[in-house]
Amino acid sequence: MTDEAKQMIEYILQRIRKPTLAIDENTALVSSGLVDSMALGDVLLKLEDLTNMRIRPGAVKPKDLDTVAKMFATAQRVGKPRK
Amino acid sequence: MQALCAAGAVMAERIVIIMPQGIPAMTVFAGAMMLGAVPAFLAYPNDKVEAAKYRSGLAGVTANLKARLVVIDEGFPEEMLEYVSLSGETKVIRAGSGVSESFHDSPATPGIAVSDISAESIAFIQHSAGTTGLQKGVALTHAAVLRQLEHLADALRIDGAHDRIYSWLPLYHDMGLIACFMLPMVCHLPLIMQSPLDWVMVPETMLEVITEHRCTVGWMPNFAFQFVPRRTRVERRARYDLSLLRALINCSEPVRMGSMREFESTFAANGLRPGALQSSYAMAENVFAVSQSNVASARGPMRIYADGKEFRGSHRIVRVRDDAPGAICFTSSGQLLPNHEVRVVSDSDEELSAGSVGEILIKSDCLFNGYYNRPDLTAQAIVDGWYRTGDLGFLLDGELYVIGRKKDLIIVGGENLYPQDLEEIASEHPAIHEGRVIAMGLYNADLGTEEIVMVAEVETEEDLVNAAEIEHEIRELVMTGMGVAVGTIFLKPPKWVVKSTAGKPARSSTLEKLRGEHPNINFE
Repeated sequence: MTDEAKQMIEYILQRIRKPTLAIDENTALVSSGLVDSMALGDVLLKLEDLTNMRIRPGAVKPKDLDTVAKMFATAQRVGKPRK
Repeated sequence: MQALCAAGAVMAERIVIIMPQGIPAMTVFAGAMMLGAVPAFLAYPNDKVEAAKYRSGLAGVTANLKARLVVIDEGFPEEMLEYVSLSGETKVIRAGSGVSESFHDSPATPGIAVSDISAESIAFIQHSAGTTGLQKGVALTHAAVLRQLEHLADALRIDGAHDRIYSWLPLYHDMGLIACFMLPMVCHLPLIMQSPLDWVMVPETMLEVITEHRCTVGWMPNFAFQFVPRRTRVERRARYDLSLLRALINCSEPVRMGSMREFESTFAANGLRPGALQSSYAMAENVFAVSQSNVASARGPMRIYADGKEFRGSHRIVRVRDDAPGAICFTSSGQLLPNHEVRVVSDSDEELSAGSVGEILIKSDCLFNGYYNRPDLTAQAIVDGWYRTGDLGFLLDGELYVIGRKKDLIIVGGENLYPQDLEEIASEHPAIHEGRVIAMGLYNADLGTEEIVMVAEVETEEDLVNAAEIEHEIRELVMTGMGVAVGTIFLKPPKWVVKSTAGKPARSSTLEKLRGEHPNINFE
């Protein structure tokens, strides 16, 4: 697992207020109800920071962010390097 | 329209539409209206609402409507259909992505005629907010809808040549349906709409849309006036131009000055005009707006400061300076629309004078016909032509101020306390998750009055180790802020508080859950 993925997991656990929960890169977050749409906005901002990408709003659907692995794949697919 | 006709969409038959926000859903709705049928939008399944709650709501609402047709999109989950109440004659059709194109062709299609619709027939059914399973279908006539749109367009000084409406609001909500679908459709205004889900994921997109499409008018509930500034990156703010936005209207929740100020100060450098933030009091039972602040005023909605003790103890407004100790700020929801009357009444139904707080009753030429198939609820709600809103507020200098829901009011020793004030204070505690607090007044037979009971979610489960300390600190905060003692505080782990379909803490469902977990405590 990359450092960025670890940081993302840490951030998500803090954001959903379950710091001791065990999740990995492939844990379903959105479809399992762990991360709701309000929290997803914050996760998206964090993803931009960690990847140094600008992710165009509207290009991403909740299912694209269902796992940490999918988040980084989505950033690679639709993100553009920040200026 | 052809598909609707073929499926049996005829005059007065109810058509339930459960589709994602977008032009196909709007097309089906408008097509049903043109055929004289009675459409109703229901919320599409989403992650914000507990699945069990959604399913029971769906079953209850569809059973009450006894719809001829249920229109869903191609992605609607098959398993969810089990919860749609289907009678023998009900058909379910899946609308394909081409629905909006087919609509454009259909008026010319032989055999399909736009119905000759009576002004007093039901145009559509809106579902008022509330516990999902108990949502009430508000039946509105074409005449009432058109009169509302006329009043609203006048109050907002709608200019067909220049105005462009922005919306992220769901179509099953009155703000989304009336202000952001019916108004632009009838007034021929461009509407730029994004899905609520896209907005909630990236609230900043709202600023992009307004900038790019030069939007001038929009509506949002109070919480969004804080949510958007807090989730907009500082380094990106400069790119947004809000200078053409002339009315962003705070509606559907009691208007809070702090939220409006946060939005104003965050985006002052983006050309946001003084007075661009406005307010309104609206409800599905009146089609939409009852009052609207003066959009031509550069100072925005009226704000007054009142003595806190007089307000809580005597239920009346005594104006004080803004820096007076214990002063409470109220933001007006504006002046009444034409042909609208408001009475503010006491618990014994006596009409109160200006500046006295009581239940708001309204009479207007836009009022609903009743709750669909629920004469019992209609008789309780409309008495002698006056609709009992269940909201508390007061009139002062021709302005209407709305405070909160009557049933939520907490009365401790004759002193009126508004749960929102208590919840706001408790949310200030660092271990408490903002927006996840519910304050209630529960009768204590020993005391002979209500006592304050609070349910508050902690930030993390680990915080529960320090529960006693946190409870003590919340009591101190409330005592300092409002001068009242809290009876019982229940600290709960994250995601414990039950939320409504609108994403707000649901009081009655939370109380029910509390009763289940604490059977030995008397909550009567």
